[in-house]
Amino acid sequence: MSSFVIIYYTALIAASCLAAYYKQRNVFMLLFSLTLVSFVLGIIGGAGALRFVATASFILALAAGTSYAFREFLILISKPGLAKELRTAPLTAAFGMFVIFTYAIAGIFAPWIAPHGEAEIIGQAFAPPDENMLLGADQLGRDMFSRIIYGARNSVGLALVATLLAFFMGALAGLLAAVKGGWFDQLMGRVADVIMSIPSLIFALLMLSIFGTGLHVIVVVVAIIYSPRVFRLTRAVAGNIVVMDYIEAAKLRGEKDWYLIRREILPNATAPLIAEFGLEFCFVFLLIAGLSFLGLGIQPPTADWGSMVRENATLISFGDITPLIPAAAIALLTVAVNFVVDWMLFRTSGLKEQ
Amino acid sequence: MGDLTRLVFKRLGLGLGTILVVSVLIFFAVELLPGDIAEAVLGQGATEETVTAMREQLGLDRPAFVRYFEWLGGAVTGDFGVSLVSGERVSDAISDRFVNTLFLASYAAVIAVPISILLGVFTALYRNTIFDRVANVMTLTTISSPEFFLGYVLILFLAVRATMFPAISSLSGDMGLLELLHRAFLPMLTLVLVVTAHMMRMTRAAIINLLASPYIEMARLKGTPPWKVIVKHALPNAWAPIINVVALNLAYLITGVVLVEVVFVYPGIGQLLVDAVAKRDFPVVQACCLIFAATFILLNLAADVGAILTNPRLRHPK
Repeated sequence: MSSFVIIYYTALIAASCLAAYYKQRNVFMLLFSLTLVSFVLGIIGGAGALRFVATASFILALAAGTSYAFREFLILISKPGLAKELRTAPLTAAFGMFVIFTYAIAGIFAPWIAPHGEAEIIGQAFAPPDENMLLGADQLGRDMFSRIIYGARNSVGLALVATLLAFFMGALAGLLAAVKGGWFDQLMGRVADVIMSIPSLIFALLMLSIFGTGLHVIVVVVAIIYSPRVFRLTRAVAGNIVVMDYIEAAKLRGEKDWYLIRREILPNATAPLIAEFGLEFCFVFLLIAGLSFLGLGIQPPTADWGSMVRENATLISFGDITPLIPAAAIALLTVAVNFVVDWMLFRTSGLKEQ
Repeated sequence: MGDLTRLVFKRLGLGLGTILVVSVLIFFAVELLPGDIAEAVLGQGATEETVTAMREQLGLDRPAFVRYFEWLGGAVTGDFGVSLVSGERVSDAISDRFVNTLFLASYAAVIAVPISILLGVFTALYRNTIFDRVANVMTLTTISSPEFFLGYVLILFLAVRATMFPAISSLSGDMGLLELLHRAFLPMLTLVLVVTAHMMRMTRAAIINLLASPYIEMARLKGTPPWKVIVKHALPNAWAPIINVVALNLAYLITGVVLVEVVFVYPGIGQLLVDAVAKRDFPVVQACCLIFAATFILLNLAADVGAILTNPRLRHPK
């Protein structure tokens, strides 16, 4: 029984007792179940497994602390109205906002943060980490850490552009279909049905095999694949709005379609559309990452997370985790966006389960 | 019952129509190539003669819609033409791999479906408890991770650090079933993780939706024990959404398989598709796309028909 094990259990049990004493039921349940899980894992896996559990829970606690601090920070710097909304945000949403914020910083200031250029060869292939290269070198001897930072700009930027285009096309078609109705509505609906009846990855592969893998091709293809989702949502939301009396009144005033869309419908449809934008971004981001991973996305030497995983995958068979870092970066951003979207959906729907 | 069969047949006809439209899309997308297939495949350096020879060999001198009907007629009878790269018949290259992919998908489905439905029901029953919250965060994380991330994490821990399962699933026909199951374990587990997360969330949402309905409240108020509320009152109405969820996720499985097959070098149809796209081998790409799209549409169709059969309200559309 090492001192680590003793300190670990003492701390856990002490914390559980404190939580129980101050009637913090949820905290107590969490801490005590962690203790019980540690007992079981400790018996099966010994001190090694225990160390793993301890590290994992420490990271979780750190993330929770960061999110809490970040939420308080946001509440302090924002206007009263917004601050009140932010106060209702769960920790997961605050965590999501923190991660998105970090990625934005990394993407915007990439050339200043990254110690080396994205295509600069500075060492041996697969060189191990040293003080010059934080995460070692990739398969051509480029600095892994710098490439990950630049990847935030390239991968996220491309996904963002594609999402914006998909959103623009889908929302415009949806609004026009709702306002015009008739054959236009029918036609758009059928087109959306056909596009959605082909699996997205398969459709993307088909299109990329035909038009090659240029950046603009990827953006357009991905936008076309995902715009029907936006179309359907916008059509449904706007469909509920166009039957309102104030729309009728505006029509009687002789307003044009474009005015109706811009001044009457859009302001009432923003909340679900913003949430959909977040979800859509996740889908687009994962699809582009998948395409890059298959070697059909952003082409080298541009740093991109999906292709970095593929290029360095051989390292995994030597038990090295570096190739997983870009993949984890993809997962982390998607999780973060999902957390924020979850909170926004919950807030706008006013849904309280029980 | 006459009404019901007519509705089901109508739905089936609609599905068939969708497959036809998709086949048109897949065929004529290739016609959009700048120049034509022969120029695209042979490249800039090709001489006039070789391009003409290839055009003749592929029958490109005939109108596109004639070729479309030939292609479709062939596809229906399992003949997808000849590969541009290897000269092999596409159907020969596909048939074995298609069986492998089906094996992987059904292996994953058999394990994922019962687990996710059970977990989904549990999270719905114990919603807003710590168990539900943890399940929510974990499923969200799994859904948000790219399939290749999960795949490589599993390889790292279960194949490299603890050498329990092979990292590369090479299959051959003369293996016993146990050997096959062992070799395909890691790709299966990756798919199960992703699909379970999706299915669990959808089942949870469906059940919660159901538990909020007035007749469940009524059953609870008259003092029915909780298990009886679930089994006798909720479950009969829950079948429709659950069948829907299962079919939709099986459809998802069919496409999720592409990335997973590449990660584990699994000899399936997804791997073939990705290779063919890189080599611009259009007959193979078209054949694989058609198979994937048709499977996807058929499973969605099954979801619809299942919903119609189990939910009488859908039989009388407004």
